[in-house]
Amino acid sequence: MPIKVLAFAGSPRRHGNSEMLLDWVLASMIEGQDVIIEKIALTEADINPCRGCNACEKLNKCIQRDGMDIWHDKIIEADCIILSSPIYCMGIASQPKALIDRAQVFRSRKYVLKLPIVPPERKGKRLGVFLATAGQNWSYVFDAAVPSVKCFFHVIDVKDADIFYLMINGVDEKGAIEYHSSAKTDADKLGKTVIAELKTRLAL
Amino acid sequence: MEIKVLGISGSPHRHGNTETLLDSFLTGAQGSGAAVEKVVLKTLQYSPCRGCNACHKNGECIVNDDAIILYEKILTSDCLAVASPIYTMGITAELKGFIDRQQYLWARKFILKTLYFSDDSIRCHKGIFISTAGLGWENVFDGAFPIITALFNTTGFEYYDNVIANNMDRYGGIKNHPTALKEAFEKGQKIVAILKKLKTT
Repeated sequence: MPIKVLAFAGSPRRHGNSEMLLDWVLASMIEGQDVIIEKIALTEADINPCRGCNACEKLNKCIQRDGMDIWHDKIIEADCIILSSPIYCMGIASQPKALIDRAQVFRSRKYVLKLPIVPPERKGKRLGVFLATAGQNWSYVFDAAVPSVKCFFHVIDVKDADIFYLMINGVDEKGAIEYHSSAKTDADKLGKTVIAELKTRLAL
Repeated sequence: MEIKVLGISGSPHRHGNTETLLDSFLTGAQGSGAAVEKVVLKTLQYSPCRGCNACHKNGECIVNDDAIILYEKILTSDCLAVASPIYTMGITAELKGFIDRQQYLWARKFILKTLYFSDDSIRCHKGIFISTAGLGWENVFDGAFPIITALFNTTGFEYYDNVIANNMDRYGGIKNHPTALKEAFEKGQKIVAILKKLKTT
């Protein structure tokens, strides 16, 4: 059975630094056999923000009909979910924040309705990856992004210890990441590590 | 001298906990004689920042929509009260989408050097963050603060105070919170008095 990787490119700027970082990780993942990758740019994913209506606490589904209908199912099916985002104004961009907030339906399912997110046999076998880039080179530039990202992965049944991070600061202009001393090597290594870990967990 | 207080509600949920808290702050400010206006982001038409960096060249956003009109209004206000509930440990996507659009002002300040706020000006422009969270965790607002700081820094406001209340799920809404609405009202009154004093000295 192939490993399924679902990757959300969160930047509104196509093929910029955070998406390039994502592409490096995906390229290294696909070197392994039996890996199916689906990548979607959130600017094209048709995901509206959460309305805060809390209807999902009763309905176990969202009342909005949009692209999330498809991504909801794919998030459940994937063995690995990757989210990439640039840092804008000290936080993740609004497009990935909309995706994260729409995961409220998973949070309602898990914590309010006490229903499973994935079948029991797949629990503990899912991994998450968060990739980010920032123009500023402050060490704390990713601090506000991480708590939201953790929540996103927790509610879709990826444990805290199963989230991998690669966050590169000091890259601003488009393509600046290509000149970064370690980003490409680290991305390559990360992709291989994640696939190897999944193979172990899925006993492939 | 008239003090202009602008309240921005970033909640998609009309008249919910956060907007009610903002209303209390604005009522306090109005009671102290301020000219008060409330803008609800949900009712505006604007798109998030595209990250195209075109504004880095001329300080203008290539997208001309309600976000620009609201930024112009922010720049003529004395007090900016920006409100958002906490969703998934951060501000809402609506407010984040609006804040990211400030990039053209950031470009004017730091790249083109055509926008400058003196220390005196910043002191006379007070920024207030208003928020509620369902969870009772101490750290539930921590992901919001740096983003709100970025907004106030770029638009020339001193980040003066927070009006925040967590644990809404347990209280069953802001109306059952023992102190929050009163605190918001009083802080609204107080900020106008402070600004009046600052502007006459």
